[in-house]
Amino acid sequence: MSLKVRDLRVYYRTLAGDVKALDGADFELADGEITGLVGESGSGKSTLGKSLIKLDGRMRYVSGTVELDGAELPVRDSARMNDFRFREVSLIPQYAMSAMNPTRKVGRMIADLLESRGERFRALRPELVRRLELVGLGEQVLGRYPIELSGGMKQRTVMVLSTLLDPSLLIADEVTSALDVSNQRAVAETLAGFRDRGFVKSMIFVTHDVALVNQIADTITVMYAGRLAEKGPAKTVVNSPRHPYTRMLISALPEVGVSHGERRLSGIPGSPPALLDPPAGCRFRDRCPLAFDKCEQEPPFAEVEPDHSVACWKA
Amino acid sequence: MSTEQAGPPTGAGPAPGGGGAPPDAAVPAGAPLAAAAPAGRRGGELAYFALRNGKLVAGLVIVLFFLLVGLFAPMLLPHGPNEYDIGPQGAPPSAELWLGTTRFGQDVYAQFVHGLRSTFLVGLLGGGVAFAVGMVVGFVAGYRGGWVDEVLNMITNVVLVLPTLAVLIIVAAYLQARGVAVQSLFIGLTSWPWAARSIRAQTFSLSSRDFVDLARLSGRSSWKIIFRDIAPNMSSYLFMTFILLFGGAVLIAAGLDFIGLGPTDGTSLGLMMNQAVNWGALQLGMWWWFVPPGLGITAIVGALYVMNVGLDEVFNPKLRET
Repeated sequence: MSLKVRDLRVYYRTLAGDVKALDGADFELADGEITGLVGESGSGKSTLGKSLIKLDGRMRYVSGTVELDGAELPVRDSARMNDFRFREVSLIPQYAMSAMNPTRKVGRMIADLLESRGERFRALRPELVRRLELVGLGEQVLGRYPIELSGGMKQRTVMVLSTLLDPSLLIADEVTSALDVSNQRAVAETLAGFRDRGFVKSMIFVTHDVALVNQIADTITVMYAGRLAEKGPAKTVVNSPRHPYTRMLISALPEVGVSHGERRLSGIPGSPPALLDPPAGCRFRDRCPLAFDKCEQEPPFAEVEPDHSVACWKA
Repeated sequence: MSTEQAGPPTGAGPAPGGGGAPPDAAVPAGAPLAAAAPAGRRGGELAYFALRNGKLVAGLVIVLFFLLVGLFAPMLLPHGPNEYDIGPQGAPPSAELWLGTTRFGQDVYAQFVHGLRSTFLVGLLGGGVAFAVGMVVGFVAGYRGGWVDEVLNMITNVVLVLPTLAVLIIVAAYLQARGVAVQSLFIGLTSWPWAARSIRAQTFSLSSRDFVDLARLSGRSSWKIIFRDIAPNMSSYLFMTFILLFGGAVLIAAGLDFIGLGPTDGTSLGLMMNQAVNWGALQLGMWWWFVPPGLGITAIVGALYVMNVGLDEVFNPKLRET
C-alpha cells in the first residue's frame, strides 16, 4: 500500500462556521494504482487532493492520518510538509496553463523551483530534457517565456516539472478540464505513461469526467458531499455500481453510439446538502430512491467485495 | 527593473543564441502583442514603442534638458547663487545676465540652475524614500495578509490622513539647520502611503495568481516569491509609481519653500519664488525673478506626468496607438 488515508477531515473556516468539505475520508491506494476521483462540484474532491499536499489558508485540519510508503505525512504542518512536496507528494495543479511566471523563462523558473527544493538544476537537467522530449517538447522550451508556448505545451511542461523528482504520489487536479477532447486523452495517457515508467508510483486523478477516468484509471473513487461514496475497480464501478448515487451518476451520462432521441437522459433530482450544517446520517438520503429508516444513521464505508467499498446500507 | 535579459546560463539552451529560435525571427517588429516577440527581444520591443511614443519622448526630452542644465550649468558659473552685487540691482535680463538680477544684485540665472539641482535632488531622495517605504509596506502587507496586513494597513491609513503639510511645517519650523536632504527625508516619510496602498492592492491580486501558488507550493521563501514572482509582474507599475512620487516630492518641496520653510543653506526654485514675493517682485514687475522658477517647476512636473502617461501606453499594449 503506498497511500493510506484514515478518517481525514478538513473543514473550511467561514464566519458562519465550519464548512465540512471533507468529512471522513478512508481509503487506500496500492503501488502503481491510478484512481480517478470523481464527484460533482463541491463534493470535496479537490479539497481531498489539496489536503494531501498543502492546506490553503482557509482550510482547517480537523482529524485523520495520512500514511505514504509507511511514513506519516504531516499534512497539518505546512512547514514540515515542505520536505515531502515534489519529492514524495506532488501536484499538477488545476491551473497548469497559468502556473508559470510570465516574466521568467521556463528553464529559469524550473531552476528556481528546484533550487527551493534544494536540488541542483544542472544535475537534473539531462533528465529534465529527456522527459520533455518524452512528452514531445524540445530542449528549446527551456529558453522561452511561458507566453510563447501553447496551452498544451505549458501543461506538458508543468506535468514534467511536477514529476521530475519522482514523487511517490501524484495528484492531478482537474488537469483536463481546460483542454479539448483530443488533448484530454493525450494528457491522460501521458500521465499513465509516467506511472508505467516509474516516474510516479500512484496517482489520484481528480476530475468530473467519468468517461476519461474509465479509460486510464485502475480504480474509481466517487465522492458525494464531503464523503466517499464508492471506490472500486473502474470496470466494476462503471458497469455495476453499488451505491445509488454512483448508479444515478453513471446513468446520467450519455453513451457513444446510443441514440437518445426518444428519451431524455435522467438527471439526479434535488441538490446536494449544504456542507455548513450537513444532515446526520447518509448525506444522499434526501435524493435517494432507496432511502429507508436506517439511513438516519451514517453508513460505514465498508468493503462489499475485495477492493470494492461502498458507503450504503443497501449495498 | 527588467529581469528579462539577465537570464543565467542555466536558462538558455546550449544552442547558439539561446532564446529565440530562428522561426520566430519572422515575427514583425511591430507585432501588437508583447507575446509575439521572441524571447530575447522583449526589451527591444519596449524600446521600439518607447521611441515612437510622442508623449514619452517629449516628456523625457524636457526632463533630461532640465536635468543636464541642473547638473552642468552650475559648474560653468564663476559665482554662487546667493552672492550679492553680481550686477546692478533689479536689472532685467540682458546679454551678460540672462535672467537679470534680484533686488540685491544676485544673479537669477545662477539661482535658477542651482535651484534645478536641488529640485531634482528632492525628487530623487524624497521620491526614493517614499518609494522604498511604500514598496516594503505594500509588498509585505499584500503578500502576508492577515494581522500583518491589518497592522501595516492601519499605519498606512494613519499616515495617509495625517495633515501632511501641517506636520511638515511643524517639523521644518523646529529644525534649526535645514538642508535639502533633510527636507527630502521628511517629504519621503510622509508621502509613501498611497504608494503602499496601491502596491498592496496589486500584490493582493498577483499573489492569488496561479504561478505564485505553485511557487508557494515549492516552499520558496516569501522574499524570493515577492521579488522574483510578484514584483517583475508589476515592474511597469512600480516604475510609474516612482515617477509620480518624484513629481509629488518636487511639488511638496516647492510648496514648503514658498512659505519660507525651505533649505536654509542653499537655494531652490521654491525659495526663489518665496524671496521674489517677499521683496515685492510682483509689485515692481520684476517678472524675471519669479517666472523662471515657476516655469521650471511646472515644466518638470508636467513633463513627468506626461511621461507617465506615455510609459503607461508603452507598457500596456492595449493603450498603444501605433
